[in-house]
Amino acid sequence: MINIEIDGKHIEIESGCSVIDAADRLGIYIPRFCYHKKLSIAANCRMCLVQIEKAPKPLPACATPVAEGMKIFTASEQAVKAQKGVMEFLLINHPLDCPICDQGGECELQDLAVGYGGSTSRYNEEKRVVLHKDIGPLVAAEEMSRCINCTRCVRFGIEIGGAMELGQAFRGEHAEIMAFMSDTVDSELSGNMIDLCPVGALTSKPFRYSARTWELSRRKSISPHDSLGSNLAVQVKNNHVMRVLPIENEAVNECWLSDKDRFSYEGLNSAERLTKPMVKQNGKWLEVEWQVALEYVANGLRQIARETGAEYIGALATPHSTLEELYLLQKLVRGLGSNNVDFRLRQSDFSADSKQAGAPWLGMAVADINNVDRFLLVGSFLRKDHPLLASRVRQATKKGAQVNLIHAADDDLLMPLTNKKIVPPTEMTTVLAQVLKALAIVKQATLDTSVQQVVQSVMPSASAQAMADSLASGERVAILLGNFAQQHPQASQLQLLAQHIAALCGAKFGFFGEAANSVGGYLAQAVPFAGAEHGMNASAMLAAPRKAYILLNVEAELDTQNPQQAISAMNAADMVVALSAYKHHAAEYADVLLPIAPFTETSGTFVSSEGRTQSFKGTVQPLGEARPAWKVLRVLGNMLNISGFDYNNSEAVRDEVLGGADMSAKLGNVLHGMSAQTAIWNVAGLQRVSDVPIYTTDAIVRRAASLQKTRDAATPRALMHSVELKKLNLQSGEMVKLTQGHGSARLSIIADDSLPHGIVRVAAGHAATAELGAMFGDIMVNRA
Amino acid sequence: MEKIANFFKTFLLVELVKGMALTGRHFFARKITVQFPEEKTPQGFRFRGLHALRRYANDEERCIGCKLCEAVCPALAIHIETEERTDGTRRTTRYDIDLVKCIFCGLCEEACPVDAIVETRILEYHGEKRSDLYYTKPMLLAVGEKHEEQIAKDKALDAKYR
Repeated sequence: MINIEIDGKHIEIESGCSVIDAADRLGIYIPRFCYHKKLSIAANCRMCLVQIEKAPKPLPACATPVAEGMKIFTASEQAVKAQKGVMEFLLINHPLDCPICDQGGECELQDLAVGYGGSTSRYNEEKRVVLHKDIGPLVAAEEMSRCINCTRCVRFGIEIGGAMELGQAFRGEHAEIMAFMSDTVDSELSGNMIDLCPVGALTSKPFRYSARTWELSRRKSISPHDSLGSNLAVQVKNNHVMRVLPIENEAVNECWLSDKDRFSYEGLNSAERLTKPMVKQNGKWLEVEWQVALEYVANGLRQIARETGAEYIGALATPHSTLEELYLLQKLVRGLGSNNVDFRLRQSDFSADSKQAGAPWLGMAVADINNVDRFLLVGSFLRKDHPLLASRVRQATKKGAQVNLIHAADDDLLMPLTNKKIVPPTEMTTVLAQVLKALAIVKQATLDTSVQQVVQSVMPSASAQAMADSLASGERVAILLGNFAQQHPQASQLQLLAQHIAALCGAKFGFFGEAANSVGGYLAQAVPFAGAEHGMNASAMLAAPRKAYILLNVEAELDTQNPQQAISAMNAADMVVALSAYKHHAAEYADVLLPIAPFTETSGTFVSSEGRTQSFKGTVQPLGEARPAWKVLRVLGNMLNISGFDYNNSEAVRDEVLGGADMSAKLGNVLHGMSAQTAIWNVAGLQRVSDVPIYTTDAIVRRAASLQKTRDAATPRALMHSVELKKLNLQSGEMVKLTQGHGSARLSIIADDSLPHGIVRVAAGHAATAELGAMFGDIMVNRA
Repeated sequence: MEKIANFFKTFLLVELVKGMALTGRHFFARKITVQFPEEKTPQGFRFRGLHALRRYANDEERCIGCKLCEAVCPALAIHIETEERTDGTRRTTRYDIDLVKCIFCGLCEEACPVDAIVETRILEYHGEKRSDLYYTKPMLLAVGEKHEEQIAKDKALDAKYR
């Protein structure tokens, strides 16, 4: 610890700290542009110059480490003169077009120019001009003359985003920021550059010129997309969501936001929003009053329960629904006498149901990911599925963590991988068993009988051995299963093997979790095995069609494991009630469309993958006659005379779900009473491997116009190893017909030699592939 | 001494004489009454009357939709909506001034970085309904077009004080 003095105030601070950190801790503000607490020190803006006793010249506070007995003056004559001089230089080439700049009102340069600059400029010569650039549909770089070359965006790309997508080229007066890797910035975290930019050089394209910052009111909310539960500031004007910014929360999203969370708000104002309850009569949609629609639903459900039995009623919800909605949905269905309720729509293996200690979760706190020194990632498109968790893993690798990956596709995670094993999904269990065996040998441990048989039958490959060595050498090990592993047809086997690997190396073990409420769904008991009697899971409900379906936020052809099956089940049903914020494909198979409010228009709770319960309030009024889904379900419950549906607010529902119980008691990844099996499913020909592209994961992002213009949202293409292509006598880039069951899709096929043989990678969750069958399984490829 | 003075004032009607003197002075002075509306009082070039939106000589509207006038307006009389025009510039889709609310303080004019919103010398306007005094963008632009010559002259006179 070192004692220093800033402006006469004493502070004791650890050595190695910079002067600016010390000043921030004392609450003394030193002006800065290039310094950012999450980025490396560049010291190129020179705004933070301060006077330090015994130093001949003013020194930059951000790049000067504290020393014992240092006396710092931030507002002395010398410091003020230096700051004023720097500000004058910065403004020489700045266009001062604040009235037409979107940053006006929240601009750091504007604020500091008022606080530290002169009132007039002495500069009358020509100003520098930097040409505008088009760097993609999200970030506007239309006025690069405003840039003060602080390089925050460049450093963000390198250090947080993982790739130097923006860089500074040329020197001196000619220095300018430009896209380095391609013409565009395609990072899934690119929106943060807008926040980082201290001037109006990088601004938000979707928000461009739609409002001024001072007109917006700021309301707190929680992201409904990925399982992180990012804290959002939803900015609202005239009951209209204008933009979304991050709220800093060190334990969750730090000060970042993924582009999905930031720009998905455009989907809230989509023209596809459903604003009136609708009932289909003789094949025609009629707009009706809520009362009529709800009575129709109640009568229909009652009739089906009476005539064919309640077990012919099924309810499906997405894991993007709130805790309250999921709880009331299962309560309604169970009140009718059915146990068929599920939210795990993309899962295909349910054999772990009721054998699990609790709700599957991350197994550790999100913030602890940064400190892990050995990772084993199993089946995860990490960067696209969990952009900010990927960034945390990346931070850990910067500190020397080793990352081992077992997956079916070799997407660039933009971080160094120590070992990776890219295998077809059928072999993933084998690889895990190999790692387990190698680890058992390294640790000289005897394995549990439940996995012994499987382990005996395998021989560890070199890469499995390397992974085992890597895991065994770590102190803080984490074994994390991704969405792909959860959707895998042998998900419970993967889980069991991972669990044993974790036990051997004392690792944290968990799931990244697919959506905002993947953990909450279990807590809300929206699973078929939560009650005394077990009902049908999502897959069984669609395989054996029900008479009636209640769909909460679900688009059957996009949100399910097997869209083909889902659509035929919907078509075969007597009654399909779709609670949805959007008019969509449901119009073809549904009988009733009930307009419900998306997350900005309702109160609710999400339980993130680390088990963090975050409640939020509505930020705007529901659009048209849309109503919060928990209210709709509550009224339906009353109409059906099911007891216990007298909630006054969503908090009452939440308290009933969570009670006062300790959250940690409800979470658990450990499987009991399962044994590992060697059997793999029958492999005949080509196998499909599916990812859910980042901007097709849920109904809101699918309608976010700007996100849909990004490269990540391009029409999916089928990917295949070039050897396999040659076998089929196909050329890369050719149009092919992909067939699964009775449905097919026409996509162009591209050679991708990073894929294992025997695999066709086709995205799920996209309209172009909605005719296809299961996300895993046999698929045929023919020339179109 | 004061008591004696007051005593004489009580019957000598000094105040009356003083008052009559003032009246008499004005009775014979030059008259300043103006026969409005046939005659008009002189106006300064900073007169704050009816608002107008100006255009540049090439017919491009000056307003860039920065909303500073809306922000500064103490009576909340201005309402603006903007969007990005096809040429990439920000333009107003709506620019309304509620003259019933307006207090003619001139702050909008002061705030405007491009001299788009100005207060003209016009004071003789009226509305038969409240809604007649709700001036929309086309109305304000029309005022500007009609009186641009006068506005430009006044602005030029004011320029040297800025």
